[in-house]
Amino acid sequence: MSERSGIGAVQVAILAAIATRAGRGFRSNEKMLSQAEPEIGLAPWYAYPVLVDLAQPWKMPVTLIEGRGNFGSRGNDPAASRRYTESRLTDAGRVALAAERRDLAPVPVGLINGTTYRDGTQPPFRPLAVIQAMRHVLRHPKATGQEIVGIIGPPDFITGCTVSGDLAAFAAGHPTELRLQAKITISEDRQAVIVENIPPNISTDDAAASIAMRAEETADLSRPAELREATRLDVRSVRDEGTSHIPDGRIVCKPAAGTPPEQVRDQLSRVYGVYTMMYVALPRSLPATIRQWVRTNQAEDLATSLTALETAIRSQPGPRY
Amino acid sequence: MAVSAHRAEDGSNGGPAGYPPGVLAAAVLATTGMSFLLVGSAALWLRGEMIPVGDADVVIEPGEKNMQLARAALAGLALQPHAVPQAARLAFLDIVTIMTSYGKIDCLLRRGRLDWDELRRNAQVVRVAGAEVVVAASSDAWDLRRRFKEVRR
Repeated sequence: MSERSGIGAVQVAILAAIATRAGRGFRSNEKMLSQAEPEIGLAPWYAYPVLVDLAQPWKMPVTLIEGRGNFGSRGNDPAASRRYTESRLTDAGRVALAAERRDLAPVPVGLINGTTYRDGTQPPFRPLAVIQAMRHVLRHPKATGQEIVGIIGPPDFITGCTVSGDLAAFAAGHPTELRLQAKITISEDRQAVIVENIPPNISTDDAAASIAMRAEETADLSRPAELREATRLDVRSVRDEGTSHIPDGRIVCKPAAGTPPEQVRDQLSRVYGVYTMMYVALPRSLPATIRQWVRTNQAEDLATSLTALETAIRSQPGPRY
Repeated sequence: MAVSAHRAEDGSNGGPAGYPPGVLAAAVLATTGMSFLLVGSAALWLRGEMIPVGDADVVIEPGEKNMQLARAALAGLALQPHAVPQAARLAFLDIVTIMTSYGKIDCLLRRGRLDWDELRRNAQVVRVAGAEVVVAASSDAWDLRRRFKEVRR
């Protein structure tokens, strides 16, 4: 991890390659990665998936690369080949790279984005809350751990799912298993139960498939009655309404005849995909992480770099701070 | 003789009857006819340990016929059935992970080839929601967990 932005070394090299070659315009990923292979130290075949991660807006709160072309979806669709896609840096990508090049003081991009999007254990946090906590510690070096945790809040996933678990233990630096759950609502006419804000560690296609499979299994009479009862999902139809405009998924379930929607809502909350589990851990407690970051970097102009990052985050399309 | 599983008093991390999803996954697998035994956190939970249950870890009995049953059962439960290897490949793979509507199931195939007889000798049948699940002895489950869990994380 880079100490100045907290993002990975390969990611920094890719940002630098794009900045050098694309400038403010879009440029072919095939060309950029081929030319940059000696600098990155990775063949385009390996570098491209990292680039795609940084360009998919549903992966992390601070998107570092803006992509043009088919960059895949929250479903199971992969990005198109690098020959058919183009990239340039986002404002936040430029800020992170400026910090790396020492044109700007460090910025906590890595801490905000976390590493769970690439199967690591550090979850993301609300971007502006992290920045606010850093400013608070800058102004009040003796800020208590409780104050810092109170400002940052729990891990915050870009898909908008709810997070539960032993959050106090997590903030204290203990490895913890979090439960992430989609939002489940009952339609106004009570004819449907709607699942939205699917957790990030499952694709929306798989979540829809999971619900549909569970509904089909309910009709499996070969199972013992108690097991059937424990696993049933009384749904007569499942429709995946997720589109590029609703990237976090929207799955509409119609309750079986005579089944109250509240019952289906409760049953859905126990279907994997509607909820997921995620193992998370920080290297040290959350307050200690923030304090150390500020202490290590306070000789530089953090006020300016944090403002630059905040401005860049606010300029993102479809912002969720 | 089968013993009945205890239930979590608070239903924490559990399903409707207080069964964690990993335990329910094992119960569902048990109804398919494939031969396996449950290890990992779900096994320890069924053995009365106060432990959070994540996924289901199962050791699959080796043998051609059981590999065919396992392949069919896993493909029937997997969210992406085409990703489940064919039976002939299962006989040589170390671990296969599938995602199901009950969460992740880790199938420990190599462990089955190496240790099936010993693990089965110490295992016990536990009734879970009416299904009979073969559960590894606590000592065996802890031993496997110590050997592999820390390494994975």
